[in-house]
Amino acid sequence: MNKRILTVFLLVAVRAFAAADSQWFLQESTLTYHVSHPLHQTEGVSHAAKGKGVCHAGQCEFLIAVPVKSFDSGDSNRDLHMLQVTRGAEFPLVTVRTRLPESDAAAPSINADLEIQFAGQTAQYKQVPLKLEKQGDVVHMTGTIPATLSDFKIEPPSLLTMPVKNEIPVHVDMTWRQQ
Amino acid sequence: MPKNWPCRQVGVFLWSFAVFALAQVAPPLIAQTTTGVVRGTVSDESGKAVSNASVTATNMDTGQKQTTNTGAEGMYKLELPAGNYRLTFEAVGFKTFEISSATVIGTVPEVLDGKLERGEPVTGKPAPTQQENLPNAPSSSTTAPSLSDLGLSPEQTQGNTREQALLDKRTHMLKIHQRMGLITTGPLIATVIASMGAGGKSTSTVSRDLHVALGSLTGDLYGITAYYAIRAPRIPGTKKRGPIKFHEAMAWIHGPGMILTPILGAIAFDQKSNGEKVHGIASAHGPVAIVTAGAFGAALLSVSVKF
Repeated sequence: MNKRILTVFLLVAVRAFAAADSQWFLQESTLTYHVSHPLHQTEGVSHAAKGKGVCHAGQCEFLIAVPVKSFDSGDSNRDLHMLQVTRGAEFPLVTVRTRLPESDAAAPSINADLEIQFAGQTAQYKQVPLKLEKQGDVVHMTGTIPATLSDFKIEPPSLLTMPVKNEIPVHVDMTWRQQ
Repeated sequence: MPKNWPCRQVGVFLWSFAVFALAQVAPPLIAQTTTGVVRGTVSDESGKAVSNASVTATNMDTGQKQTTNTGAEGMYKLELPAGNYRLTFEAVGFKTFEISSATVIGTVPEVLDGKLERGEPVTGKPAPTQQENLPNAPSSSTTAPSLSDLGLSPEQTQGNTREQALLDKRTHMLKIHQRMGLITTGPLIATVIASMGAGGKSTSTVSRDLHVALGSLTGDLYGITAYYAIRAPRIPGTKKRGPIKFHEAMAWIHGPGMILTPILGAIAFDQKSNGEKVHGIASAHGPVAIVTAGAFGAALLSVSVKF
């Protein structure tokens, strides 16, 4: 009798434990980098990011990847030049990894530690503020990553012999769905 | 002597300008020969690419070090001053692999692959993911999603060193194109200004000679500028969009204009030298030159300033 109760308890416990795991999928995204040059400002936009989050024991691991080629600044010449300086043909993806507590999904704002691989280099950004808006199973996330060219050992591209600024903040606008 | 003096002045000016122009173009050409590239792939015993491996090149003479990490496909690239280097490959969970001597020369990219054996993790510099113990930094747990979970196509994840080399060459040539275009603007403006004293009722041969000399210099510099744009490699699969389309459209005006203007100018010069009034097709020299200079200026502005 005790053995049967124990078996039922274990089955229920395993089911409950398994039910605690959940996954997040990136549904929509807009990533925008901003480049400043003495003569003009430029933005490059990508909607091609793919992302997944896996939650286990209250912690979620997230991975987001976006092809470098997918950024569009409205000028093919500029995009090719950006692709060259960021070594985008050789290292075609920008990847972002982070780990967040599962409970953060309900918070209005969080600070995330991000690890970004780009142009063959890895950089870490501590406590990047992100705003969250939860509606049912969907979380809308916005924020700005304070990236710089030197973080990834990228030589600032220049136009008319004037280089762009080192700062290239990346605005993030993402919609995640929990499954 | 007094008759030759202005020509000598013009000669000195043109030589000075040519030296200045060469000085502007020379640095990237010199840099190309003193900096070399080392690239390659880091893989394990089974041939599987090792991503995020650290590759360090140490200059044997100066002791200077340069480090990079491999990408998702295990590829790396280092741009190094020419010299002798020791290359060290490190990755978590693998033994350190070393290439004790590699010579980097300026012209030929050196391909050096690293083969890592599984073993004790490196104890020196921690891998980038372990460098800082962040409160909520990504972990290396087995539940963490991987790139294969994201449904990216192989074209999106695999690096292409050949395409990168093509992009590098394209940028190098277009940088010279851009610099030469800027330099050409100087004598172009000077030619237009000098034309004011060269045409019309003016009988001064000095003004005409100056105008011809400046025009010739402009033509030569323009030719070099155009060469670097025309010879820059095209990247397959790229659809042109944005201001570059206008920039290239302008080339269809100033290109033929730069050929036609000196031909018409030569006819006008002959007519003027014979004491005749400029007539016939030669009278189009001025208007063609203005349209050409205007198209050149518009092309320059279209890629410089955002309207």
